[in-house]
Amino acid sequence: MSLIKRLKSLFGGDNQDVIKNESVKEAPVNKDINSKDERSSTDKITEEKTGSSVTQNSTTPKSKESVKTGSKKGAVKKDLVSKAEPVKKSNSKSVEVVNEEPSSEKETKENDSKDKDKVAVEEKDKAEEKDKKGDNMTLLEENLVIKPESVNREFTQLFVDAGIDSVEHCFQCGTCSGGCPSGRRTPYKVRQIVRKCLMGLKDDVISDPSLWMCTTCYTCQERCPRSVKIVEIIKLARNEAVKAGFMAPAHRASGSFVIKTGHVVPINDATKILRKKVGLSELPPTTHSDAEALEDIRAICKATGFDKLIGYNMETNELME
Amino acid sequence: MEIAYFLGCIMNNRYPGIEKATRILFDKLGVTLNDMEGASCCPAPGVFGSFDKKTWVSIAARNLAIAEEMASDLMTECNGCFGSLFEANEELQHDASLKDEVNEVLSEVGKEYNGSINVRHFAEVLYNSIGIDKLGELVEKQLNLDVAVHYGCHFLKPTDEIGIDNAERPRILDDLVEATGARSVPYKDKMMCCGAGGGLRARDKDVALSITKEKLDNMVDADVDAIVEVCPFCHMQFDVGQVEVNQKYGTNYQIPVFHLAQLYGLAMGLNKEELTLDAHQISSDPALTKLVAELDAYATE
Repeated sequence: MSLIKRLKSLFGGDNQDVIKNESVKEAPVNKDINSKDERSSTDKITEEKTGSSVTQNSTTPKSKESVKTGSKKGAVKKDLVSKAEPVKKSNSKSVEVVNEEPSSEKETKENDSKDKDKVAVEEKDKAEEKDKKGDNMTLLEENLVIKPESVNREFTQLFVDAGIDSVEHCFQCGTCSGGCPSGRRTPYKVRQIVRKCLMGLKDDVISDPSLWMCTTCYTCQERCPRSVKIVEIIKLARNEAVKAGFMAPAHRASGSFVIKTGHVVPINDATKILRKKVGLSELPPTTHSDAEALEDIRAICKATGFDKLIGYNMETNELME
Repeated sequence: MEIAYFLGCIMNNRYPGIEKATRILFDKLGVTLNDMEGASCCPAPGVFGSFDKKTWVSIAARNLAIAEEMASDLMTECNGCFGSLFEANEELQHDASLKDEVNEVLSEVGKEYNGSINVRHFAEVLYNSIGIDKLGELVEKQLNLDVAVHYGCHFLKPTDEIGIDNAERPRILDDLVEATGARSVPYKDKMMCCGAGGGLRARDKDVALSITKEKLDNMVDADVDAIVEVCPFCHMQFDVGQVEVNQKYGTNYQIPVFHLAQLYGLAMGLNKEELTLDAHQISSDPALTKLVAELDAYATE
């Protein structure tokens, strides 16, 4: 019964929605997102056999509890898509069951409480039962199961509060991924990220380096038949990632240039010479030639807490280690 | 007409020939470009917008406030700056609580955002406020070039907010390019991104270059003489990035890269030094040689 309860909360309705159908014994609850280990997406990206190399110059989470480390390479190979997809309402009476039997070693690693052990056993039993019936149609692996405790409702609410309630309109057609230039060469799956944002799988979304593969080209958003503000979703998800400490060193550097100079690409000596040569002022009439204006930028960054966000020390004028 | 001229970062700090050509062009057109003293980075939409929305919109609002004090519309010739400032202006005009929040931040630096001006893109100003016919009159040299027009992303998209042209099959840049006598050549995935945006170039250059290479492959297949764009960041990605693509993939691509302002500069008879084309990583000479050859041919006829 506890599973049913968890499912209820998973699908958001207190008691309506999914579980009206009494015959639903079990549903494909997928992938414990909390057990991040499998997916510490570093492995994910490197294992993905795309021609491109996705460098891992990023994401050391500030807080350890958000991403537990550890590795289970085998699990990583599984395409992320399959993780999100199985959470569907099932209104037929036969319901899929998580099939894969976890090794006892896995179990002890993953289930850190008695309660969880119980659930796992329960699931296992049911899985075996289904196996006997021969109606086990799922290729799901146990480690791909999303558990209710991974669902963060407030995360979904963030999008709604930010005016991006169109996240709720997505019907997962995949037009976005179909047109995505980054999706063709990296593990970035925009459709899946939209889905995860709607489901509230915060930890999963923000810890995934592929979130940063979007060039904000808007092709997805332009073509979306449901007018979902996809790029806004990606940017807000990235804001949350940065808050949680997932920020690439190169991006911290970009931020620091603006605090230091007012420009994300500051002038250099070669350009100063070029500017003079063509009869322009050596320094452009921007923060580069206006110390007070630069102070304004620094004051704004202080007021919004941007300096702290990227770990910039206003006293030494450098990024902190 | 007077316009608050927003410079941004990459144009003025890397490719000043674009700025130079623009100042000369608008002088000839009788449009006054007023410098926005003390303006900063826009800041970059996909980068700062991705880091912290409040910081992004506050710095953008400060830039907008400078133009408001000048009581004229703002013009930029960078897609990134345009996207950032247009979007910030749009959001602040329609979200009173965001505006209050931002004005609280701006009060610290003695500025206030009111929402009284429009943000315009260089190419859109040329097209709508000057017009193709008048631009055609400026052309001293018909540029007999086959050009791959690259629109970039933030010039037209999101179309439901910007509304300059259709995002899948636009005409505006092609028409502006063809006003110089050049021909806009169709090529595969013309509307695709250059690969640099969204912080991708900074964070993962390999992925960015992979996208750039795909664009370059398609342009080479179309046998073009030059790339023309309206974004200094795309400009950099096709110039510096083209060298990087050659190093990474063993290709030998040498497609000259012109910002639309530089193309108009060539059409007005400016030389490559004035347009700082000599400072590009990818030599402009193949295209320039072709132009000179054409002119010589005309001269002898």
